[in-house]
Amino acid sequence: MITLGVKEKNTFLPAVNKKSGANVLECYQCGKCVGTCPVSGFMDFPPREIMQMIKLGLKEEVFMANSSWFCLTCSACSGRCPREIDIPAVMEAIRHISIEEKYKSNNKKVRDIQKFHEIFLQMIKLYGRNYELRMMAEFNIRTRNLFKDMHLAPKAILKGKITLGHEKMKSAKAIQKMYKIAEKLEKTKS
Amino acid sequence: MKKLTYFPGCSAHGTSEEFDSTLKMVLKTLDVELEDIPDWNCCGATSAHVMTENLAYALPMRNLVLAEKLDSKTMGIACASCYQRMKVTKVHMDEQPVLAEKINSTIVEDGKYHGTVDVKSMLQYCYEDIGVDVIRSKVTKSLAGMKLACYYGCLLTRPVKITQFDSPEYPISMDRIVEALGAKATDFDYKTECCGASFSISNTDIVLELSGKILEMALESGAHAIVVACPLCQSNLDMRQPDIEKKSGKKYNIPVFYFTQLMALAFGYPQDQLKFPKHIIPVDEALSYIGKIEPEPEKVKRTKKAVEAESEVE
Repeated sequence: MITLGVKEKNTFLPAVNKKSGANVLECYQCGKCVGTCPVSGFMDFPPREIMQMIKLGLKEEVFMANSSWFCLTCSACSGRCPREIDIPAVMEAIRHISIEEKYKSNNKKVRDIQKFHEIFLQMIKLYGRNYELRMMAEFNIRTRNLFKDMHLAPKAILKGKITLGHEKMKSAKAIQKMYKIAEKLEKTKS
Repeated sequence: MKKLTYFPGCSAHGTSEEFDSTLKMVLKTLDVELEDIPDWNCCGATSAHVMTENLAYALPMRNLVLAEKLDSKTMGIACASCYQRMKVTKVHMDEQPVLAEKINSTIVEDGKYHGTVDVKSMLQYCYEDIGVDVIRSKVTKSLAGMKLACYYGCLLTRPVKITQFDSPEYPISMDRIVEALGAKATDFDYKTECCGASFSISNTDIVLELSGKILEMALESGAHAIVVACPLCQSNLDMRQPDIEKKSGKKYNIPVFYFTQLMALAFGYPQDQLKFPKHIIPVDEALSYIGKIEPEPEKVKRTKKAVEAESEVE
């Protein structure tokens, strides 16, 4: 295995491989993913570099980078990867491991993305379905950007694009129980 | 009459209500009876799989379990994101029985997952199960004259291992459907580029840039309008279009239809039932091309000398 001056044992690589089901070592750094990825230009490190950083065990640096949170899981990269590596699954593994290890990012964009997903999951927990208007309002409040997208609201509401009311499942309780069990499973797994 | 289990998804009762209502009209004409999954829940969309593993499987699985109790062995899904989550769950559960057992424990209601129901997007259902020929036979008002850029987005055809439908790079199913309606599908290179998806709210700048490129390429292909099969693609390309124009300084003014709206139009439903006023970008100009068929460009006549030279090479 390549270690390139990294002295400690690399525990990050096997952890990512196990979680993602992919083998990051297969990557031969061709960069096709970088050219394919629609958001690689916005990433701190494009997918190719993230793959190499995992090989080198640079866990902190990978967590710090916005790359895994900017991945849109569009699967364009994995479709073209000549080594057939499931790169979106690798990005997902990075996110999940960083959440498990309670890593807090200080990148505002990353925190915004995380807040959005937290609010979305909260909506499902409450109603069993998404409540678009409340989700957007909560996002604006929690990111302290009250007027975001407000210019769209009058037209969107007037045209019925966004509805003021919302639906609730009859058995929203079943979803709340599901959340509890899933949380427990998340903690008990190896 | 064919039966089909229907999963509308949250946006079908909100932002993409016109997708849901026109889909129902179209399937009625095509002799398909929809049966809603009783008390369905959100599939978890992007958020569940980004943040957690178990919940990302558990939420779709409950819907799959409920669908197993209904008559049809196929579930048709309107939203591309719901389709992807449901299909990923189905494929992974069928492949990994141990994981399926674990996720089954999160379902507190009656029933377990057995994997007896197949999952299809409505685009796939129309293309594979109904077929282009049947669709063509129902057309009463041809859309001839309209040039359309069919935009599939990421989730309907990718990853191939999961979707097993059409091509991940240059799909043609929607093109064939709009051609059956009489319209012309343009040669559009950005068919499967990502529009920015859920970054619409959390990272709007990226959406403006990515969706802007798609609008630009659609115009360049000569299209009068874009056709989609995904609620999020529609709202990013339509609702965000004025912002994209402001950012890039260009005027696109290209409407974004759901493929079912155009099918309903071609099947003879009156325009006022198709919810066109819900569009942010007005659709009238694009619709005015219907019936105005451009003459085919004349083929360049080759000189006798050129024909002779060619035959010599052969």
